[in-house]
Amino acid sequence: MPAPDRKRFWRRLPWALAGSVVLWLVIRPAYNTVLTSTAQGLCRLFERPPVTQVACDGEAAIIGRSDMRADSGRLRYSLTQIHFNLIPALALALAVPGWTRRQGWQRLASMLLLLAISHVLSLFWHVQFFFATGLGEWSAANYGPVAREVLGGLRYFFDIAVTFTLPLLLWVGFFHERVFALLGVEREG
Amino acid sequence: MAGWRELVRTPAGRFVAVYALILTVGFTILALRPVNDSVVNRYTTFVAHEARLALSLLGEDATVQGQILSTPRFSVAIYNGCNGLEAILVFVCGVLAFPAAVKRKLIGVAIGFLAIQAFNLVRIVALFYTGVYKPEWFGASHVLVWQSLVIVFAVSLWVLWVQRYARS
Repeated sequence: MPAPDRKRFWRRLPWALAGSVVLWLVIRPAYNTVLTSTAQGLCRLFERPPVTQVACDGEAAIIGRSDMRADSGRLRYSLTQIHFNLIPALALALAVPGWTRRQGWQRLASMLLLLAISHVLSLFWHVQFFFATGLGEWSAANYGPVAREVLGGLRYFFDIAVTFTLPLLLWVGFFHERVFALLGVEREG
Repeated sequence: MAGWRELVRTPAGRFVAVYALILTVGFTILALRPVNDSVVNRYTTFVAHEARLALSLLGEDATVQGQILSTPRFSVAIYNGCNGLEAILVFVCGVLAFPAAVKRKLIGVAIGFLAIQAFNLVRIVALFYTGVYKPEWFGASHVLVWQSLVIVFAVSLWVLWVQRYARS
């Protein structure tokens, strides 16, 4: 990638970041609803009878179980914490000069789909961890210490590691020709 | 699928694979309880003291208890995810995974670590003043603005390192 294109990347990045924030703010209400209902569906796939409730309340998910009293344990969890990484991922993709070339839109859609799957899984593990540790005697009776450790580990992994690292991984993975050209290594392989 | 097969044969594909592997190892190590208790918590406390010092220089009567930074006007708790370690790991693993001379990697890691530390300090101080003057904006500013900025900063730093230093 010639030097002027590299300069364009740095000039485009703040604008791409601002645009991504605006886009994220616009789609957030609908995305929250889709995210909570998909996570609820995923949880219920593994339940007989299906009892998990993941409701959308503004920018938060309300997690509970329909087989418990309405006033028993409910967890309110910020959905923004789960899907804010859409902003840096989208900003990095849009800042690359010529990102639309070579099926760029298709790559962008694939990248966003993978991010969305990671968000559903992240919420899924939050729900499972809450059931394993947040419902008092019921949790103690239904989950052993190993299960709690494993679920805690998975929750941490999706909450911190996946959230913070996916933008760079997906950016390089889906736009590798453009990104490595940007880095100055396009002619190696 | 053809795209993925093509990717794994490229330098970018190798980078992604090595980067994902190093990240997984790095985050797993940080998650281990002994490491968390003896390294991560101490580091977070250190970050809280750094922020206290910065706020004191700005005229605030700041104190630290554990990982809670307090002044008579506002208090913030610095948790995992707020201490900058994740952004540092994103950058450091990117540097380690990219083919470059060891010396250049070590210099990159050292400078990147300090730069992200400094950026995170600015973030904590900015969030503190957001809490003081616009507490209703604190939540959005914390997650939406600053966490996004921290990721973009770490990635930008890595891009700069590769462009200017890793290959020169």
